[in-house]
Amino acid sequence: MPALSVSSLSKTYRTGLLRRSTVQALTGVSLTVEEGAIFGLLGPNGAGKTTLMKILLGLVHPSGGTARLFGQPAGTPAARHRIGFVPENHRFPGFFTATQTLHAYGRLADVSTAARNRRIPQLLDRLALDGRGDTKVKTFSKGMLQRLGLAQALLNEPDLLFLDEPTGGVDPVGRRAIRDIVLDLRDEGKTIFLNSHLLSEVEKVCTQIAILRDGTLVRQGSVEELTAVDRVYDLLATPIPDALLNAELPLSPAPDGSAPDSELHQYRVRADDRATLNTVVDRLRDADVDIESITPLRQSLEDYFIDVVDAPA
Amino acid sequence: MRPLLGLVLITFRELWARKIVLGLFIVSSLVLLAVAFALNLDVVEGSLAGIRLFGQEAAPEDLGGEDAAPLTLSRVVIAVESVVAGVAYWIGILLALFASASLFPDLQSEGRAELLLSKPIGRVRVLFGHMLGVWSAIGLLATYLLGGVWGIMSLKTGVWNPRFLLSLLLVVGMFAVMYAAVMLMGVWTESTALGLIVSYGLIFVSMVLAAADQIGPTLGPLTSPVFWGLYHTLPNFTEVTKIVSVLAEGEAVDSWYPLVSSLLFGGATYGVAGYWFVQRDF
Repeated sequence: MPALSVSSLSKTYRTGLLRRSTVQALTGVSLTVEEGAIFGLLGPNGAGKTTLMKILLGLVHPSGGTARLFGQPAGTPAARHRIGFVPENHRFPGFFTATQTLHAYGRLADVSTAARNRRIPQLLDRLALDGRGDTKVKTFSKGMLQRLGLAQALLNEPDLLFLDEPTGGVDPVGRRAIRDIVLDLRDEGKTIFLNSHLLSEVEKVCTQIAILRDGTLVRQGSVEELTAVDRVYDLLATPIPDALLNAELPLSPAPDGSAPDSELHQYRVRADDRATLNTVVDRLRDADVDIESITPLRQSLEDYFIDVVDAPA
Repeated sequence: MRPLLGLVLITFRELWARKIVLGLFIVSSLVLLAVAFALNLDVVEGSLAGIRLFGQEAAPEDLGGEDAAPLTLSRVVIAVESVVAGVAYWIGILLALFASASLFPDLQSEGRAELLLSKPIGRVRVLFGHMLGVWSAIGLLATYLLGGVWGIMSLKTGVWNPRFLLSLLLVVGMFAVMYAAVMLMGVWTESTALGLIVSYGLIFVSMVLAAADQIGPTLGPLTSPVFWGLYHTLPNFTEVTKIVSVLAEGEAVDSWYPLVSSLLFGGATYGVAGYWFVQRDF
């Protein structure tokens, strides 16, 4: 059973005094996230990312389509029993201490007193907030508030964690700490749904991504699949004789040309099909060229994202 | 049950963190101290022999006035309890509305609503938990003041007037009715100011509606139905004051209609607020 499945989801906001103006936030979005995945939802501002996440959490009612979490209709208390959520700009009552905050929100998440007493010190320790349990939340920095938000989301030991811009406004050290926690959670088998503009962060942690543009899902797949440049490979090998380079092979020195080893050179292969790629390898081997590696060329997630969102509709 | 209790506790705690509620608590404590120590009743063989207020002695006959009936111990007790109940009803409710008006808009604000509504608790229960939290905080404050005055006066004089405690329920009940308007405006507009304006406005209109017997016969065929329509649908806050006084005086209530119609208004308003709260997007 997938952790999350969405089918033909649409949302139209009605605004104005007579609710006559409409804004189409989502149109026919369908996607599935398997258990254990770290899923990144990307898109420019206004693409519908927050609306999609809010529908999954039950904060926004869909206009059409269905959304399910672990087979339960999204937004029902039963579905929310298995999730944790860290909103982008969460606000805790400032008069609570960190420990009181976690007890209060733990109660709301239906966590028993015994479980709270056991988990709260563990979570404060894990999120580097130990020694801050008795400090008023209103004195916390942005990074500490983000970590406290993560702690409250983890109190009920959720199977699916929603993170909305978890590293927004956090310094690099804090970002690293949050990223490490996300990776630890992945290792524990948790499913994570991440909404972020920080593409470098997404690239480092996500196994799957989807890109929304103008309320429509335009791409979905693994980071490796999506960022691979079609049929272009980086070849690392001993120097290739000029005769071969001048022959009619789809082979050329790599534009940057850097190689980790002085004995090795970097080349680029453009093979339209598997047979061409194998022909290149055979010719190189016949010429006693030692091949270190052949890897599909990738572009950065940021470049890929910009290509997708800038592409004509 | 645990999430509901959690929400009640958060709301309760949030209200008590406000300085105005702390102020109400301090003022209530001063009233209790004044009743306990500043008001001295000299009781001889079960009858009132003298009254000292802040050390100044006054004969019971002086307090009653020349034409008034003789001032008995029970009349003094009822008078003190009536004054406190009236003040708690008017000033207490106005201040309690002022103190609590921002709670519901705050609950729905960005960053708070998401945290709360993503928990495994339905929206109807969120609304119910919030209402219970506010009512219980105000109820505790009212019990502290009115129950305290009742207890102190009863212990000091031996005159027990249990019907006075019903006025406690009326104070909390009418606060709940007026808070319904605050919540409705909170769901609709997320505006604290508008919630206060509407609830205070309803109280002002109830002063006019309280003169229904005098105003009603003077109205024309078009304005009369409108006036009486408002009388029967809006909360009769001012008229309920009379019920509070009558209860505090230990007498029988002629008509419960103002209270019943006010409670119906509150129930209907909570219903509409609840429907909008469940339907809206956050």
